[in-house]
Amino acid sequence: MPDEIRRLSDDLARDPSSLVFMPLAEALRRAGQLDVALRVAVRGLDRHPYLPDAHDVLARIHADRGDLERASDEWEMALRLDPSHAQANLGLGFIEFRRGDLESAERRLSTVPPAEQTPGVAAALAHVRSALGARPAKGAAVVMPNGSPPAEATVVSPPLAPSEAMAPAESVVVRETPAPAPAAPEQATPRTTRSVPELPAPDPSRTKQLFDSVLDGSGQYALLVDADGLVLAGAYTDATGKDVAEVIAAELAGVSSEAERAMRHLGLGAWTSLLVEAHEAIVAMTPAPNASLLVVTAARTTPVGLVRLLLDRALARARDWLVRVS
Amino acid sequence: MTKTPYAELLAMLSRHRGVVGSFVVSERDGLAVDSNVQIGVHAEAVAALAASLHRKARLACGAAGCGVVTFLRLDAEKGGICAAGRDDLVLVTISEARANIGLLRVEMMRAAKALT
Repeated sequence: MPDEIRRLSDDLARDPSSLVFMPLAEALRRAGQLDVALRVAVRGLDRHPYLPDAHDVLARIHADRGDLERASDEWEMALRLDPSHAQANLGLGFIEFRRGDLESAERRLSTVPPAEQTPGVAAALAHVRSALGARPAKGAAVVMPNGSPPAEATVVSPPLAPSEAMAPAESVVVRETPAPAPAAPEQATPRTTRSVPELPAPDPSRTKQLFDSVLDGSGQYALLVDADGLVLAGAYTDATGKDVAEVIAAELAGVSSEAERAMRHLGLGAWTSLLVEAHEAIVAMTPAPNASLLVVTAARTTPVGLVRLLLDRALARARDWLVRVS
Repeated sequence: MTKTPYAELLAMLSRHRGVVGSFVVSERDGLAVDSNVQIGVHAEAVAALAASLHRKARLACGAAGCGVVTFLRLDAEKGGICAAGRDDLVLVTISEARANIGLLRVEMMRAAKALT
């Protein structure tokens, strides 16, 4: 591996505009040199921003670093550039599985064409389908296909030859924690086992605090609203301290379906976010599972990029929560 | 054919990279006042939906104490809609993913101030 890295580094030094940055970044990633891999990939993408494979490599690096949000962004970018990109679908499928969105994960993984279905993909798909089939009733334990105890269900990564090892299969840590733990380097052993602690039953009295852990509290609010404009979770108080969550939710009833219809008329695909800038605040919305709508607001001085990041975090939280209550 | 006061403005917005249509719409009834769209764009339907979205956003922001809505952006997989309103009129653009939204936003917010 060091020889390969040295050779690829030399090639890149000779021709910085070449595409050799991709195999170099990938080799560095596999060698566990994630910071260097990240620099190489980002610099390469500066020169070649429209290469889906380059975004895929960067996504794997982010995934190995435990930054699933950015990994997801990069795989989504790869799919925008190449809607049939199998590795990007695979990566997003694993992230959705990690978030508990099994239906989406199954859909994603199913899009990988049979010709590109390595044993790893097939095993992952079988695993997700099995988990879907074994989805328990509300509050019951998750029973995984290997028959492990409910409170400590396990996900078994598929056996992968080194040549077909994929970042998602090896990097995504399937663990229910607020922040993704850094992924372990790729294992030499063919099978790895990671634990999924059982999700606790939701406490209805705590739904208002659902998003507290993803907001920093300085004028930021998040609300999960159902298709009828009813509050599912979260809270919103106005400047006087009055709870106005239900009023806001009612005003936003139908936003999701109207956005969907507008995009359908235009043939622009599924809507992903709605950002509203107002004099005093920025309001960001995104579709959430079960036809619900997630709304995040922040002070007008908050950078728009940060609001979007908050929205992504809140969405992950909402998905996890909805899996538990539905 | 009579040109409306918005024809120049809409033509200018439609010249932006990736913009496939722009129109001025009444937020109250969702009817397009003027439009400049490429063939195949369902201007009337989109105008009505964009106006409705703007109205909902305005009312929700009012309820939340967020103040007056200055700009709205709906993103989708292959593009999106931007809207900037003043009083009852909303300026709307439809764009593909390759559009420079930052530049378009500045132009639209400037143009919206001139809407009467």
